[in-house]
Amino acid sequence: MLHGLEIVEPRAQPAPPPEEEPEADGGLDYRIPLYRLLSGVFLEEPSVDFLAAVRTPEALAALAEAGLAFDGDFLAAPLPSLADVLAAEFTALFAASGGFPPVESVRLTGRYQQQPYFDVRQAYRQAGFTVTRGRFHVFEDQLGVELAFVAELLERCAAARAAGDEAGARRWEREVKRFWTLHLGRWVRGYARLVQRAAEHSFYREMARLLEAFAEQEIALLRLRVEDQDLGREVVPKSEVQVAFNPDEPVCNACPGSR
Amino acid sequence: MLDKLKMTRRTFVKVSAGTAAAAAAAPRLLQAMEQELGGKDFNPVDLAERKAIPINCHVCNIQDGAIAYVENGRVVKLEGNPEHVSTRGRLCAKGNSGMWYSYDPDRILYPLKRVGARGEGKWKRITWDEALTEVAAKIREVLDRGEPNEICLKWGRNRTGGTLQRFMATLGSATVLNHTSVCESSKKVGMEPTWGPDIETPDFANTKYVLNFGSNVLEAAYFHNPLSQRITEGRVDNQMKIVTFDVRLSNTAGFSDEWIPVFPGTDGAVALAMGHVILRDDLQDSDFIETWTNVTVKELKEHYKPFTPEWASKISGVPAQTIERIAREFALTKPATLFTYRGPAKHLYGSYNEKACMMLPILTGNVETRGGYCLPRGMGWPQPMPEPPKAKKPSYLSTPPDYPLASHKVSHLVPFWIADGKQKVSVYFTYQDNPVYTNPGARAVWGKVLKDEKLIPFFVSMSSHMGEETALADIILPDCPYLERWEPESMPNSLWPWLGIRQPVHPYLGESRENRIILRDLIHKVDPDGKRGMKQYWDFKDAEDYMKRHFDNIPGLKEAGGLEFLKKHGVWPIYGTLDPKTGKIVDKTGREIKAEYGLHKKELSEADMAGAVVEKDGLIVKNGKAIGIRRNGKNCVGFPTKNRLINVRVDEWAEYGFNPMPTFKRIPWHETMKEDELVLTTFKLNVHKQSRTAAVKWLAEIAHSNPVWMNPRTAQKLGGIKTGDLVRIESRAGYLVTKAYVTEGIHPKVVAIPTSFGHWEYGRLATLRLKEKPAYGGTEDPDLKNVWWDDKGVHPNDIIPVVADPIGGSQGWMDTVVKVTKAGPNDKYGDVQGYWEKHYEAYKETLRYAYTGDLHRKMHPEMASWAGPESVKPKASGGGH
Repeated sequence: MLHGLEIVEPRAQPAPPPEEEPEADGGLDYRIPLYRLLSGVFLEEPSVDFLAAVRTPEALAALAEAGLAFDGDFLAAPLPSLADVLAAEFTALFAASGGFPPVESVRLTGRYQQQPYFDVRQAYRQAGFTVTRGRFHVFEDQLGVELAFVAELLERCAAARAAGDEAGARRWEREVKRFWTLHLGRWVRGYARLVQRAAEHSFYREMARLLEAFAEQEIALLRLRVEDQDLGREVVPKSEVQVAFNPDEPVCNACPGSR
Repeated sequence: MLDKLKMTRRTFVKVSAGTAAAAAAAPRLLQAMEQELGGKDFNPVDLAERKAIPINCHVCNIQDGAIAYVENGRVVKLEGNPEHVSTRGRLCAKGNSGMWYSYDPDRILYPLKRVGARGEGKWKRITWDEALTEVAAKIREVLDRGEPNEICLKWGRNRTGGTLQRFMATLGSATVLNHTSVCESSKKVGMEPTWGPDIETPDFANTKYVLNFGSNVLEAAYFHNPLSQRITEGRVDNQMKIVTFDVRLSNTAGFSDEWIPVFPGTDGAVALAMGHVILRDDLQDSDFIETWTNVTVKELKEHYKPFTPEWASKISGVPAQTIERIAREFALTKPATLFTYRGPAKHLYGSYNEKACMMLPILTGNVETRGGYCLPRGMGWPQPMPEPPKAKKPSYLSTPPDYPLASHKVSHLVPFWIADGKQKVSVYFTYQDNPVYTNPGARAVWGKVLKDEKLIPFFVSMSSHMGEETALADIILPDCPYLERWEPESMPNSLWPWLGIRQPVHPYLGESRENRIILRDLIHKVDPDGKRGMKQYWDFKDAEDYMKRHFDNIPGLKEAGGLEFLKKHGVWPIYGTLDPKTGKIVDKTGREIKAEYGLHKKELSEADMAGAVVEKDGLIVKNGKAIGIRRNGKNCVGFPTKNRLINVRVDEWAEYGFNPMPTFKRIPWHETMKEDELVLTTFKLNVHKQSRTAAVKWLAEIAHSNPVWMNPRTAQKLGGIKTGDLVRIESRAGYLVTKAYVTEGIHPKVVAIPTSFGHWEYGRLATLRLKEKPAYGGTEDPDLKNVWWDDKGVHPNDIIPVVADPIGGSQGWMDTVVKVTKAGPNDKYGDVQGYWEKHYEAYKETLRYAYTGDLHRKMHPEMASWAGPESVKPKASGGGH
């Protein structure tokens, strides 16, 4: 038992049926921008331009209709100061000690740069992508990067479909399913709930709600069975690391004093 | 807790539409990698596409798929062939420089006849007809005496696909020699009787753990291009761990997670001790051992008991704790693999060392698994018919009776056997060889014998360059470099078998010719009317016609177009396409082509089993030949050995008084080394091969000198030697004077010198005789004015005495004990002196370790029940390359 939560072995659960049958093209036209939007929210501190685009009347109306309820801290603050406040909130939530880095390795193993990091990096490389530095260094298994990767895969899927390459489109769809099953599906929902609980600013709280809902929608749409292993834990126990090397082991018997 | 959003697709669509601008403004840090596909090249001025001709590289022996780009009949660029599944569009520095063989201004372009004393350097140009007539007359003279074995042919590199062997069989001579005993023969002989093939294919890309014993595969070992690609993938994409045991911090050791310095020749002891830990702690794969080897776990546990980490530590210098730890890591990490090269094998008992190392993947069941230690995958091709019969009489030189297990010959002892009169040689041919430079003893041994007209009355070199050996010839027949000739090719250099070709990218330069044409014309001179029955084996129009006979009837390739397909693609089969995003070969669905594993478990078909008999032990025999083995109720093909199993116990070795089980023998003269003595080892750099690259312009500019590596502690003991100081290195066979390079990256009891430097022949660039006039039909070369270096290095082989592994026949390159001192007042940089008498003593001593020698029994007290050399019928060794 950890913080009142019981860690249970992941069990396969039947996927809930999608609420509505997706379009023949898999709804790519609306899903890709949503991935991009959410990637932008969690990748790094929002820029003034990005915030301005979210605060357009059309965007706010659409988000409100979907049930997002931003407070005045987001709706009324002048953009430059909003950017500053959100930068501080981003740092507190996601980048500074005591926060909850939106990084898969951290969420699942308690440490940076563990197996998920290498796995997603390999997935990116196999698909021909590499992660570049933004305003700051970003880990390959950071939430914003993983969401952007799925957006890229869906772009390829759309391109293949537009070119009449149905087999190619299906292949990219399979890659999306695989990535959700192996990565996003294992941690995003629980993590989104944690952010909702922890965020002081309504921007991140509401965007985390959108993230959770979107994740569940995607998992249903893709007909996946994947257990949330994040569970929204505030403290993730550190995974065991086996250190076989003994630092006191002598280097070479040929060297005097090492025998 | 906040309310969960209840969103439908419709609301998502609205949100998406409404926030499209925000999505567009989101930062994008994920970018497509940039990687050009290759396969095309353009003139940078007029952008005209250059003619691309697929070939197989042959600067060294990895056989990378390559493309030569030709403009106005001239090769302007070489690069990797993106259709080649093994090398996937990459070439190393050597491969990129290959055109400088063709355009070397010191290349031999005409047949030459010696007019001065042997080695004096005086030649006259003669016509092909004159040259072939003279050589044919000498051959006929020997044949008419009924002693065809007096005609000897020794090759250094033979990628002719069987032409040289056909030539010698046509003449009826068995005196065919190779270079393998100075290369990796004891590695081969350590492996062959155990599991069949002479090399392994480690699945580096998919493994989690690599034990690397004495291989510098990222720079120089067999298959360094294709394997180093996979090592990098395994390291970067799969986070594999790699541990390197080496006397030197090679670039491969530096790339590894751990470099563990080991005393030369003791890798086998370390490997046995690891086996001890694995078996002691019950970490072995018992199921694999019991199913697929000829021993039981119980036998192995008993056999490995004495090989404790403490025992190995005393011998090797590797701490017992390290051996324990690495053994457990290796056994507990799956999949794991192992690779070896010259480190374990190039010693007096190199075959034992190799065997001890290969036992580790066998003990842990990592054989033929994904990420494990796999059998090589190669392809063959048929020979043009009719084929000449094999020679009737065996040759002492190629199948020496003292080395019956050395299936790849013991060619480095040949000059001593010739000097001892073991076999007469009347006509000596050489092809792409240079033992006067590359063999132990170098000019003090091979130079002396080849210069002696009584021992070698007639010497013909087929060579494109005036190497140290060719300079001693009587007749030189100008062979052409690899970009001008046809050759069939295949190498097991990845997990995907392939066939390939070399094809001329432009006509021969000058009057040079490719080897199979030279040999055809020579046979036609020897047997002009066909009455000797030889001409029938050399009845082809040209080299392309010969290639058609190799390739046009291979199932699968035939349907794809035979030779025409290979001319267009350079390689067959084409497994997929090179993905420009990842640099990997992928199938139509974009996934990397997967290799096939578990070859030994492949089941025999019903047709295979028809008429077959399953013996008591499971061996499946058909028409008197073992075709498989029944295991767990399945009829499997097994391993390519006589009993279709992995022979941990090699009974054939016991016949000759060698230990049939994995074991280790310390080099006796290493045990008695004095405090001031060191072991001299050699190594290769990534831009050079044995002897033929010193004249390649780009490579010579990158690396042209070779100071001796020495540990700071050693340098201190020797009176404070600093990098650049002159030192004198003295072995039992001679001495040399060179510069020191003081570095922590070497074992304190070892000094190491890279080879490929210090040439005294091989043209003006290799020898730095830059002001000399061109000779042998060569041309002026303005590039020689741009040579900015004045140090050509110092060659160590003159002072390295012969050592022959009594099992595998390999030269013990890493066994030489030396004394190093500061250079004296009379010592000059570059002084090298080897002595025939001293080398001869070393030869006599190494014979004492052969199964017929007096030290054999002393070295094998555990084989006390062996009845002695008289108890075995001498058996001819031979074969291999």
